[in-house]
Amino acid sequence: MKFDTVIIGGGLAGMVCGIRLAEAGERCAIVSQGQSALHFSSGSFDLLSRMPDGTPVSDPMVGVAELERIAPEHPYARIGAERCDRYARQVPAFLREAGLPVTGEDRRNHFRITPMGKSKATWLTLEGYLRTEAPGQFPFRQVCIVNVEGFLDFYPEFVAEEFRKYDITCRFGTINFPDLEQIRQNPSEMRSANIARVFDHERNLEALAAKIREVAADCEAVILPAIIGLNRDDAFAVLQSKVDKPLYLLPTLPPSIPGIKAQQALQARFRALGGEYFLGDTVLSGELENGRVKQIYTANQGNIPFQADHFVLATGSFFSKGLVATPDRIVEPVFGADTVFTSDRSTWYTLHFFDRQNYQAFGLRTDAELRVMKEGVALENLYGIGAGLSGFHPVQEGCGAGVSLLSAFYVAETILNSRKS
Amino acid sequence: MENTYDVIIIGGGATGAGVARDCSLRGIKALLLERSDISTGATGRNHGLLHSGARYAVTDGESAEECIRENMILRKIAAHCVEETDGLFISLPEDGLEYQSVFVEACRRAGIRAEVLDPEEAKRLEPAANPALIGAVRVPDGAVDPFRLTSSNILDAKAHGAEIRTYTEVKELIREQDRIVGVKAYDHRAHREETFYAQVVVNAGGIWGHGIAAKVGITINMLPAKGALLIFGHRVNQMVLNRCRKPADADILVPGDTISLIGTTSSKVPYDQIDNMVITPEEVDILLREGEKLSPQLAYTRILRAYAGVRPLVASDDDPSGRTVSRGIVLLDHAQRDGLEGFITITGGKLMTYRLMAEWATDLVCRKLGIHQSCRTAELPLPGSVESREEVEKKNRRKPVAQRRSAISRHGDLAARIADRNSIQNSLVCECEEVSIGEVEYALENLSVNNLVDLRRRTRVGMGTCQGELCACRAAGLMGKKDPVCAKKAKADLVSFLNERWKGMAPIAWGDTLRESEYTTWVYESVCGLSDETEKTTVQ
Amino acid sequence: MNIQQNTVSENNFEQCIKCTVCTVYCPVAAVNPHFPGPKQAGPDGERLRLKRPDFFDSALKYCLNCKRCEVACPSNVRIGDIIQSARIKYGPKKNTSLRNFVLANTDLVGSLATPFAPVVNTAVSLKPVRFMMDKVMSIDHRRVFPKYAHGTFTSWYKKQAEAEQAAFPKQVAFFHGCYVNYNYPQLGKDLIRIMNSLGYGVRLLDKEKCCGVPLISNGLYQQALKQAKVNLGSIRRAVNEQNMDIITTSSTCTFTLRDEYPHVLSLKNDDVRDRIELATRYLYRLIQSGEVTLKFKEDARPLRVAYHTPCHMEKMGWSYYSIELLRMIPGVEVFVLDSQCCGIAGTYGFKKENYPTSQAIGEPLFRQIETSGADLVVTDCETCKWQIEMSTTKKCEHPLSILASRLA
Repeated sequence: MKFDTVIIGGGLAGMVCGIRLAEAGERCAIVSQGQSALHFSSGSFDLLSRMPDGTPVSDPMVGVAELERIAPEHPYARIGAERCDRYARQVPAFLREAGLPVTGEDRRNHFRITPMGKSKATWLTLEGYLRTEAPGQFPFRQVCIVNVEGFLDFYPEFVAEEFRKYDITCRFGTINFPDLEQIRQNPSEMRSANIARVFDHERNLEALAAKIREVAADCEAVILPAIIGLNRDDAFAVLQSKVDKPLYLLPTLPPSIPGIKAQQALQARFRALGGEYFLGDTVLSGELENGRVKQIYTANQGNIPFQADHFVLATGSFFSKGLVATPDRIVEPVFGADTVFTSDRSTWYTLHFFDRQNYQAFGLRTDAELRVMKEGVALENLYGIGAGLSGFHPVQEGCGAGVSLLSAFYVAETILNSRKS
Repeated sequence: MENTYDVIIIGGGATGAGVARDCSLRGIKALLLERSDISTGATGRNHGLLHSGARYAVTDGESAEECIRENMILRKIAAHCVEETDGLFISLPEDGLEYQSVFVEACRRAGIRAEVLDPEEAKRLEPAANPALIGAVRVPDGAVDPFRLTSSNILDAKAHGAEIRTYTEVKELIREQDRIVGVKAYDHRAHREETFYAQVVVNAGGIWGHGIAAKVGITINMLPAKGALLIFGHRVNQMVLNRCRKPADADILVPGDTISLIGTTSSKVPYDQIDNMVITPEEVDILLREGEKLSPQLAYTRILRAYAGVRPLVASDDDPSGRTVSRGIVLLDHAQRDGLEGFITITGGKLMTYRLMAEWATDLVCRKLGIHQSCRTAELPLPGSVESREEVEKKNRRKPVAQRRSAISRHGDLAARIADRNSIQNSLVCECEEVSIGEVEYALENLSVNNLVDLRRRTRVGMGTCQGELCACRAAGLMGKKDPVCAKKAKADLVSFLNERWKGMAPIAWGDTLRESEYTTWVYESVCGLSDETEKTTVQ
Repeated sequence: MNIQQNTVSENNFEQCIKCTVCTVYCPVAAVNPHFPGPKQAGPDGERLRLKRPDFFDSALKYCLNCKRCEVACPSNVRIGDIIQSARIKYGPKKNTSLRNFVLANTDLVGSLATPFAPVVNTAVSLKPVRFMMDKVMSIDHRRVFPKYAHGTFTSWYKKQAEAEQAAFPKQVAFFHGCYVNYNYPQLGKDLIRIMNSLGYGVRLLDKEKCCGVPLISNGLYQQALKQAKVNLGSIRRAVNEQNMDIITTSSTCTFTLRDEYPHVLSLKNDDVRDRIELATRYLYRLIQSGEVTLKFKEDARPLRVAYHTPCHMEKMGWSYYSIELLRMIPGVEVFVLDSQCCGIAGTYGFKKENYPTSQAIGEPLFRQIETSGADLVVTDCETCKWQIEMSTTKKCEHPLSILASRLA
């Protein structure tokens, strides 16, 4: 199989890179081992929420400029503040084009609200989800938090406990009806996706609206966990139109409906642009020739290798096995590429779960153009993007999505530029 | 008088719980004080091996005899805490067969059934055993769940009038002349000091008993020996596997509930470090290296966590390994030993002999109180083990299959008290261990649960493969439902629960465990936005 | 070898880190609350079953073995294999209901039915007969039975085709499967026409049995194992003695021969596995290597086809080849339907107890087909074809039939 570019990994970074290339007319294939970490998304995309030392960031671009100075190994520093700024300004339109309506600015973080009611600084948030300009600046003084009876992956009481700190009065509304009773027959599948399937049906969405009107009768606004709109894009709009007061969604624990929607939207966009998406296939090995990747072999395609001018390694970090930890080292399994890590395992983590854990910054060793290194030399046509890169703490610094998006933009541009020259 | 009891028991391990039960069955008004949760010391940090005594047969015949007697008693009175798996003592080529004959002879002397098996027969019985084995002896080893056992004793003690106060730490023993008359204790939940009086105070603090006695200037020379263990993700073996040789490191592999456990190492630790057990990479290496010799499968079985306990051995000599010390029971009447009336210490021994230890201690309490009641704990089944398996099955029909089996194995006949009237009560909180909302509610209401870690000990929430990744927040959500105070506490509790889980995972955090941890970090730190806002002190 | 001892090797289930993605993509869990879902039935359940076999839940029978959980899994857990293996290891050992026997034994029933095809076809389409089958055998009366051909593919081949095949310079072996043999010999004829036009003679295996997939899903493992051994023997002879590749037209047969044999039946096939492939992939490879070119009719009328990816095709990751092949045909416009299960899963959807689940699973697909504006649906799986033709207004064809009809 011959493509212009083959991308290994179909998560946020891989798909965004694929779409950027396909938009420019490249023939691309994405090979993905399985569904991606987008399935655990919060419905928001972070750019930079904290500096490495923990200082909160209000203007991500100021932070990125600072990173360029103090953390040269950080992917943003590699990409360069000027480019980061340019890409960041393109991202919202790019996501909207793919069917992901987001709001937010790259010069000022806003705050998303978590399933436990915490406020977290972020960059872009999907429409319909509760967001504030500053912690506690809620668009209501009093709200009804609605949940489905027996749904354990969302926490009205925790949310209320946080809101109370800002003098917001919370009421609780619990919802139940026969079709929900039906899915509860299964003791383990009372999950966001299954509940959302129930509300894909018009009559249930209608019934949900009626129940919300009833339980929230004397409230200013309504909060609902993200349990609608799995297979229909208009669910939120329809529900809002039937509820006589502002309605806000909050993310739930995985599986995340906004994440699944994002995955599906990006995948659909990629395919609509002519991209080939190979799901459930594992890249087993890459064949190198004169410092270049010649072709890659996968479990499913066997004796038919993927050939391309450029390859992009978007296999993610440990979760998606882009990085594999053995007791004494960190391995990149496809190419045996160079990785950045410390050799003594006891330095990989501290015993406090919520500490900054060193292992989270381990990843691919790359050059300035994010080309992947092997035995100290950059492979000419293999680029690394996304969570597999080294030099950043996606969770502590609140920059995971941003690194995926911007590194994908950067590498796509690099590949397209190389075509021109 | 308020706060006055016949007896105060310090320590909520198996022994303390056993004493509380025994006392209350004999009509003695008992108060048990535990600084943390029940079974948090050595009770909950060992193999969970229902010793046949075979392991001690050669070196310590007396312990061996105690073990086999108690083994048979526990099968009767604590059936729901016990799995009658039997065990194999396997000889590998490097061990030779000389020890086997000595071993079998010693077992027979101690009254332990020891059946020499043909190697092929042994491999057929236990396919996980190292196929290189040249000999095997079958003995009546088994598995015992220390959390259930302790909880069951507590339940029965309470049912017979005992008062149980967890998270209440004894700070001071009140002395009047040559007599201990009570204790001052600090209630960590209510944040206040309280005073309790009794005619007899029983020190059942395990290794911590050393410090308790020291409060009144009494020296019990404890030898803290750290033993590290590894938990594997699923059941590798169905029978207990031992090496047929002189006891050494990492030579017991026990199937316990859904998992298998290998242990232990043995190293002397300073007494001031007993609350601060950290597993070193070297200990992990030893456990894995030796474990693979028992069962080569361990080489590619996922490890869930590592942990260590401190053996409460009473040192009689200065043996650095802590292994040749007798595991025999030590009952000290401080009136005789130290001239201090109203204070006794029960220590030494092991999980297997907790009941016998409790019997001895209670006998002494009775003598001091002038009570003439004989011990009935060897005959009366514990709550959960009263009804037959068939009856229990019948009463739990409404629960889905896997939930039913899990609930029964955890709670025995008490499983019937877990509500299962509707689909919500049958919804799963912990999917790895099949813990339902009904079971969590039952535990919260009946089993003295104060936080998520306690809940884990009662129900196995968070003990499965994902180590709480999915269930911790769900359980916290259920605990937080009651009122605003609960919500706040439950959230902080969730943080300490995750810290506690991570502590056991960090020493073995590579491969899938690291993947799992990364995912857990995303869920809790990123999606939920949790952070540790508390002081970083050791979680107690 | 003792088939009862088989479990998925190397503790593969432990790679599950409980991310729950599989549950989102399970077509059964989405519509049938009695199925515990892939995570519970698979890795979670396996761990409990290793504790004690009585944790086995008979609801595992609702798994339709589509393997979409495996495709979705980011951890490479062979969830579907774990469930199937658990059914073998812990499930009921005797499964001899008449219904399952009839559905599972496609070979036997097919060879009994084909000589009397007109009578059988009429009979099974009659309301009273369907009512009787529903009541007596629990085969749902709403299910439309596939028609039997009058005379098998193999008998036609022996009479009409065999003699001339040897004359071609190159040879391949064709694993025709039950569908081509008993229901639709024309597909086999189409394949022969295509291969012959490229200079390839098509041979049959010296002994071919049903691949075994209906036996496996109906709990008849010993028989499945026996037939698998016969097939592997024939395949080995074709590969080793005549150096022939094995091509097939059914995605499920292919998947079974390549992957279910080792993973579910514990039958090693690595020596020949890579030599078994779908004819569309084989053709794609030949064309890409420049070895052959297909010559199409110039002035064929435009045709808009909607390609449906069968579950096992999704699992193999091979729909690309069939789609690319269709795209090579002048005048054919290909529209790829969302990859989702049609609900039939072989014999699963024939069973009365599964009929509502089956149709509910397929519903989104049927809707997309109806609104796609396609002239017809194309797919590589015969049971998907039955389901689509029964549940929508569209005809459904095999890609090779389209290809053959457009050859110059």
